[in-house]
Amino acid sequence: MAFSHNFQRRLDLIILLTQKEFALKYKRTFLGIFWSILNPILLAVVFFAAFKVFMRFQINNYTFFLLSALFPWSWFSSSILISARSMVDNISLIKKVIFPRHYLVVSVIIAQLVHLVFAIPILLFFSYKDGTGPSMLWFVAIPILIGVQFIFTLGLCLMVSILNTYFRDIEYLVSVVMNLLFWMTPITYPISSIPPQFHFLLVINPLTGLMSAWRDLFQNNHFLWKETSISAVMAFLFLGAGIVVFKKMERRMDEVL
Amino acid sequence: MAAAIEVLNVTKKFPSQKGASGFKEWLVRLPKNALKPNPYFTALDSVSYSVQKGECVGIIGKNGAGKSTMLSLLLGTSHPTQGEIKVEGKRTPLLELGAGFHPDLTGLENIYLNAVLLGLTRKQVTARLDQMIAFSEIEEFINQPVRTYSSGMYIRLAFSIAIHTDPEILLIDEIMAVGDESFQKKSGKALTDLIQSGVTTVFVSHNLSAVRQICNRSIWLDHGKIRMEGSPETVTQAYLDDSKPKASQEA
Repeated sequence: MAFSHNFQRRLDLIILLTQKEFALKYKRTFLGIFWSILNPILLAVVFFAAFKVFMRFQINNYTFFLLSALFPWSWFSSSILISARSMVDNISLIKKVIFPRHYLVVSVIIAQLVHLVFAIPILLFFSYKDGTGPSMLWFVAIPILIGVQFIFTLGLCLMVSILNTYFRDIEYLVSVVMNLLFWMTPITYPISSIPPQFHFLLVINPLTGLMSAWRDLFQNNHFLWKETSISAVMAFLFLGAGIVVFKKMERRMDEVL
Repeated sequence: MAAAIEVLNVTKKFPSQKGASGFKEWLVRLPKNALKPNPYFTALDSVSYSVQKGECVGIIGKNGAGKSTMLSLLLGTSHPTQGEIKVEGKRTPLLELGAGFHPDLTGLENIYLNAVLLGLTRKQVTARLDQMIAFSEIEEFINQPVRTYSSGMYIRLAFSIAIHTDPEILLIDEIMAVGDESFQKKSGKALTDLIQSGVTTVFVSHNLSAVRQICNRSIWLDHGKIRMEGSPETVTQAYLDDSKPKASQEA
């Protein structure tokens, strides 16, 4: 009884914090929740113009190619950028109320996940048009990929959010690093366009495997088990590191906020 | 009777150079820091006491004596530098009322968020919603964002949420003055009822007569140490005697 009450309460807390994250984002906007659908579409138009119209990349079906990795990437990058401020922006909650502080980060990642879910129909449309999918594989692969990416993102977000309470420089650093990481990950270009001497950069970047797996699933209806497994192992390592750093620094957070 | 709160030899230090934290400063100071420890301020110095279940303890003392630090340690939002704190039961803070409110959320949304933060499930909140709203007396504004509330409405809502979440241990920081006079009476009565019904209470106050009225025991904190502990009458009297001559000197 006490256990189930506690569980229910924790679940409710995460739901409410996520709702808050979501509700606040679109408070006082005219289009409200439609921004969640409009945003990825507008993003796609921008990249289509940049690469197809101005730079004329020679890749077939470039829009679909780009979007199949860009949408999962957006989930990752917006989660990191927003959670960098999730402790700092909730000072009053942290100082005056007791609750598991990592829920703040979890709720940010879930709220951002909703945007990815909204974007999946767009990918579904493209893959239907191409005649490659969708298939039953999607129902297995998408939850797995979401799970792996969630774990990886959570590990990083925990670190970034708690470090930013000690050094506010982190949030500025993060936005630069995210930009660098975006161009280092094969999202706008295929892996094959990277010279062999730089391949090590792709291997040490856990996002490469993950983004390739997303793309391969949507474009070729094929699941990259090996890449996903390697990313999963790395994701758990990042989560472990994130938890250690978070637990250690959380204890003295009240002295710096 | 079992102890609800046990404070064992607790010391809390704060770094003195609070806030001067950028990564650059940290790097620059790193060689120096390695040699000598940071300067710090000791807010509490090896404090020990315990509170029995159902007891109401009043903590008094001058500004800066460590009372609020003590409360945040009991609440668990801050951790002791040394020593240990054991708390048995659910802690309900009545510290800064409405601290968990988000100004852009409506009263109703804030009720759910805060009551769940204070230990209820959403289902339980739904069941008590009418009580909470009725007690706070802001029925017609409940669907407005709380940034449009007056400060009195804000505090009334926060107080009403807190007392309807089945508190087991109340941590109170000087909030006897909630809202207008009639609401003060109502909230004071609700609190006294809770305390008399056996809720363990730690009460930090400058209001000595309130401490004498509702507390079973009183602790006098002075410069981070316990100066005196005992019945509210003796402790508050000693505290008054101590501060009087100084006050006349200053005048």
